[in-house]
Amino acid sequence: MNQGPLLFLGILASLVVSWSVLVLTPQFQLGDQGMVRLEDTGKDYPASRAGEAAQGEQIYRANGCQYCHSQFVRGPGAGNDLARGWGARRTVSRDYLRETPAMLGSIRFGPDLANIGARDDHTGKLLLKLYDPRAVVAGSPMPRYPYLFEERALGEGEVPAANALRFPEGYRLPEGVDEVVPTRAAEQLVAYLGSLRAEPLFFEVFPPQAPKSEPTAATNAPPSTVTTNVAPAAVTTNTPPSP
Amino acid sequence: MSRHLHAVRDPDAPTAGREGAPADVSSAALDETARWPLTALLGVSLAGLFWWGLFQVLAAIKLHAPGFLAGCPWLTYGRVQPVAWNLLVYGFGIPVGLMVATWITSRLSRTALVGGALIFLGSAVWGGGVLLGVLAIFSGHSTGVEGLEMPGFTVPVLFVGYLLMASPLLMTFFTRRATEVYVSQWYILSAVVVFPWLYLAGALQAVVYPGRGVLPASIASWFVHGVLVCWFGGLALAVALYFLPKLTGRPLPSRNLAVFGFWMLVFFGPLGGMVRRLDGPFPAWMSSLGVASCSLVLVAGYALLVNLAILLRGLGATVRAGTVTAFMAFSAGSFLLWTLLVPLSGFEFLHARTGYTLFAAGLDWLVLWGAFGTAMLGALYYIVPRLLGEDWIRPGWVRLHFGLAVGAVTLLVLSSLLGGWVQGGAINDPSLEYVRVAKRYIPFAATGTLAFLVLWGGALLLVIQLKWMLLRRWLGHCLPKLRGWCAPVDSEVRA
Repeated sequence: MNQGPLLFLGILASLVVSWSVLVLTPQFQLGDQGMVRLEDTGKDYPASRAGEAAQGEQIYRANGCQYCHSQFVRGPGAGNDLARGWGARRTVSRDYLRETPAMLGSIRFGPDLANIGARDDHTGKLLLKLYDPRAVVAGSPMPRYPYLFEERALGEGEVPAANALRFPEGYRLPEGVDEVVPTRAAEQLVAYLGSLRAEPLFFEVFPPQAPKSEPTAATNAPPSTVTTNVAPAAVTTNTPPSP
Repeated sequence: MSRHLHAVRDPDAPTAGREGAPADVSSAALDETARWPLTALLGVSLAGLFWWGLFQVLAAIKLHAPGFLAGCPWLTYGRVQPVAWNLLVYGFGIPVGLMVATWITSRLSRTALVGGALIFLGSAVWGGGVLLGVLAIFSGHSTGVEGLEMPGFTVPVLFVGYLLMASPLLMTFFTRRATEVYVSQWYILSAVVVFPWLYLAGALQAVVYPGRGVLPASIASWFVHGVLVCWFGGLALAVALYFLPKLTGRPLPSRNLAVFGFWMLVFFGPLGGMVRRLDGPFPAWMSSLGVASCSLVLVAGYALLVNLAILLRGLGATVRAGTVTAFMAFSAGSFLLWTLLVPLSGFEFLHARTGYTLFAAGLDWLVLWGAFGTAMLGALYYIVPRLLGEDWIRPGWVRLHFGLAVGAVTLLVLSSLLGGWVQGGAINDPSLEYVRVAKRYIPFAATGTLAFLVLWGGALLLVIQLKWMLLRRWLGHCLPKLRGWCAPVDSEVRA
């Protein structure tokens, strides 16, 4: 250990081993994953995002939503994500093929968003939540994002904008503000949130309640009985809801 | 590795020297060569520390007061939090680690610093790169890759800045006079050469040319965990293993045990990166490998524990009495606790509850501040007076800073770990609405705010005292010289 060059080479070798195992091997295993055709619906999964939602992904990234919201569902035995209603199954690497980058998140200060598009698919409510979370959930610790909205005063005889936020009864807007209109960025962000939905039917992961005794379960395709169990028709598309 | 090599009590006591090496020099002469380059490095890192404190406190406040400064996009939680993290790691951690490591290298090699001018240039480039990166995150150009948020255009700047800052250390090491390479130098060498490789590989493959899907996330985990182990953990150990034998006057009990612990840490440390992404959307073998590797790092922790326990046996009062030794003992203890808790929290019985909660943040704070931060503060309180040739103006503040730092770190780690336990239990109870989950963890997050404020206050004590010393040095040394230049010469007076 008194030889500098030997020490240097040993350290280099250690790092090369960890790089080969943790960077190179996953690249070989996952790097050429592509879309798969789902037999039940005949659609490719995961489909790429529509333009508005792809723009929204950049808003999500720029404002660091991932520092409070995760985007993955853990399977049975690891936490209780499924019981919380965060998804019908655990998420797997193929669910993230269209993400650049996948913003998985590390700390769940807020609820998981991996399937928010399937769960909370209400544009108006999401916009209201972004403007003032306390208007939707009393006591929510989520920050407000007033800079994603335009706060306007209405002149004499002016009609409110069609896309102005609809506030619950008794909500008090700031002084001199008559209507709150979402900016383009806010609408894109909500379109992105709407696109966050992991396909429930997926041959890599069976839903936890899948009946094991079905003879068809031996094939790669999900058993047809499961379809009626967990897949409402509306969830199988990946296009964002029109704003 | 024979036994007589570590019979020298003080690790940097003058030695016979390698063949053909220049004549031995005094420690004071070594420090004089290193004085201004290392002060520049210290300046960059303390600027990083100051701004880290400010933004970390701001982020912590925002966690429990969501309306606070909500109207400003630059100051939303999702931007301030990564800014604070980047300032701590890149703004403070890297330059202060290099500064302390370079000083120790010069002392242990018995060689005056080579190429100090590169450090001036490097710290300017590095500081500029961090500033650019932080501004980019503030303005919404974060990469979205946790731990590597600074955008791609800062990667070459930071890389070049790092090479400039770190090369004098390596040049000094490879022209060393001392025959023995002491334990601390192994850790320093591993930290200093592992970081640029990790950074370049991580940044290139996760940010500049990102892989598909989840790959950047796993690469970032490998990078962050590798930096936590090799830089933050490794340098904390280097400093503790240098100062504890030096200041207690006892030799390190077993060099062989230290060799074993070192290789276990360097080999299995970076291999355990996926412990940060357990149960995530990755192949199962990656999670298993993460937990298994971290469990093997536990062996390195045990080797360290045995060495330190023998070294410090019966010295409790001495260690506590000296502020520097007390810092080091706290740092080593935190590191040991970290090596124990990381694999433990990877096991399913704990991870099912504490995964992806404040608990994970608590573990990071344990190594970032518990092990690294306190070790660096202790080292600075020893090094800076020798480097500047000025005593601390308020010795009482040094002890006060120790109390503040140790108290704040303990509070921060305990509140995060406990808060994570509570938060995880609440998340796993589906009958609780999420807003009720938040109500349970917020008191712990608020405690974190207090801890950050105290840490920041302590850092201010150091910064103020250092500026004061620099001013006094300037008044005492530079001003008379300047006066001498400006004063009329004799011939002028006579004329």
